[in-house]
Amino acid sequence: MSVSGLEGRKVLIVEDESLVAMLLETMLEDMGCTVFGTAGRVQEALEMLGGDTLPDVALLDVNVAGQTVYPVAEELDRRGVPAVFSTGYGQGGLAEGWVGRPTVQKPYTEAMIRDALMRVLGVRNA
Amino acid sequence: MARDLARAFDASPNPYTMPTRDFCYAGVNQAYLDVVGRTREELIGRNLFELFDGGGQSAQARENERRLKASFERVLNTGEPDHLALIHYPIEVTDPDGRTRIEDRYWSATHTPIRDVDGEVAYILQHTTDITELQNLRQRVSGDRDQATVTDLLSSNVLARAEHLQSDNLRLQSERNRLLDIFMQAPGFIAVLTGPDFVFQMHNEAYAELTGHRPLNGRPVAEAMPELAAQGFLDLLKQVRETGEAFEGRAMPVELGSGEGGPLRTHYLDFVYQPLRDGEGQVAGVFVQGHEVTDVVEAGNRQKLMIDELNHRVKNTLATVQSIAMQTARTHAEPATFAQAFQARLMSLSHTHNLLTRSHWEGADLAEVLAHETEAHGSTRILPNGPVVSLSPAQALSIGMIFHELATNAAKHGVLRSGDGRVLVDWTLLDGAVSLTWREIDGPAMVPPLHRGFGSRLIDRNVRHDLAGECRLDYSGDGLIFSLTFPLERTES
Repeated sequence: MSVSGLEGRKVLIVEDESLVAMLLETMLEDMGCTVFGTAGRVQEALEMLGGDTLPDVALLDVNVAGQTVYPVAEELDRRGVPAVFSTGYGQGGLAEGWVGRPTVQKPYTEAMIRDALMRVLGVRNA
Repeated sequence: MARDLARAFDASPNPYTMPTRDFCYAGVNQAYLDVVGRTREELIGRNLFELFDGGGQSAQARENERRLKASFERVLNTGEPDHLALIHYPIEVTDPDGRTRIEDRYWSATHTPIRDVDGEVAYILQHTTDITELQNLRQRVSGDRDQATVTDLLSSNVLARAEHLQSDNLRLQSERNRLLDIFMQAPGFIAVLTGPDFVFQMHNEAYAELTGHRPLNGRPVAEAMPELAAQGFLDLLKQVRETGEAFEGRAMPVELGSGEGGPLRTHYLDFVYQPLRDGEGQVAGVFVQGHEVTDVVEAGNRQKLMIDELNHRVKNTLATVQSIAMQTARTHAEPATFAQAFQARLMSLSHTHNLLTRSHWEGADLAEVLAHETEAHGSTRILPNGPVVSLSPAQALSIGMIFHELATNAAKHGVLRSGDGRVLVDWTLLDGAVSLTWREIDGPAMVPPLHRGFGSRLIDRNVRHDLAGECRLDYSGDGLIFSLTFPLERTES
């Protein structure tokens, strides 16, 4: 079921668990979004952001293969791309300086991902 | 026993004599004989006051004699020791040429009662010290003020005060020793710093232990413990000195060298900097007191880390299960087949978890992962061939899922459908890279080939994403051939 306002939006996924990444891809495709890329490592995500084309929004797992995702979040901030953090701990899982940023807690439903994306993209619920 | 005591008494460098109740010499030691310049035979049995009359027939001599006798009588009457901090008592001495003369002497004496078997005071043990040097001091000083001080010091008035002070001092001394003992053996660390440079006056064993047994006493903090200054603790000490207010630190991290100039180690300390005031109420020093709480803090941190890690894993596992459920549902419209496929995938994950738990999550061997994931299909039908390959936990989980999808597919659509089909699994380890082939033989030709289903997507994703490797699927006349290459050590780019 395509969601108006999210259709065609390019989403960057940073998630090290294959199955969880696949779940997100499936959910996003169902909403009508395009997967900009799926990175399982911080370095991989930074490389994806190195080009001219940028995603419209990003979904960031806080703990990626033993590293924190904040370098990616900083780069997104610098380039004006909004991001939603995903973590096992909710708001409490964010480091100092990032507390209060939009967050979804694992495991998440399609509705939770949709609402979070619409909020950071400034899309009104129909 | 008695003879040993007598020998010890005689050998003591301190002069001792032991008059009877009527002040006759019952015993003397060599040190006493030396100090009065007499022989044992001249003294034993004779009355002390007959031999030493206080310096002749003058009023002063009679007063000297009276004071010494009064001290003896106090011991006899009270049964308590008595102290003569200072007494002027000239004695008759014999010069080397045989002539006798009266020599001015000053003494300090302690008189201790010695009781007989009935508990009555039978003897007085006199421990006396010749302190005539004080008199020499009086002769040497020339200024009126100093002269007056020394005269005052030697006068009976001050003597009484000195006596009083002496007994107080003795009491304080024993109290102080007792406190010092407690201080030195206290389990917490203690140090006393004085002056504007915070010079170590004393510190206990626990403090020495904490600071790596470096020399401290007499040295300023900045010199003895330079690492503290760099961490702002010198400023804290100055603040306590300036404001006169104590500073209390709770679980404060402190980098301390193990000995002078030794490598730094983080300690967590609960401590107090307490101002020490002098008689005028000015802050003269700082009393440092506290204890190490490093173990408690580190245990707390470890526990938090473990809870965070547990939470992370549980939530990730739930998300993984959610993903398996959602994606399995897409390819299995029938609830019955959904449940079967979903459970099989959960069991596959669980098998690898079991393997990893056995090794305390240090890793698993590739052959073992293969055996676990395919045992349902019979050990004779899936034939492994390759060297030992130690997989990390993440690699083991990925490979486990890949084997599960391949085996499930072979059972459903491939060579494991019929009784004759077999799978040859061959792998090599070369230059840190694993090359593996899953080759299905002797079976019926593959009817719909494995592609674009959840299984193939999962395999593809696991290989690229989790293993940083490459794979391809081919179909020969016999059946499916799956080739996989991945690095064993994943290097961070």
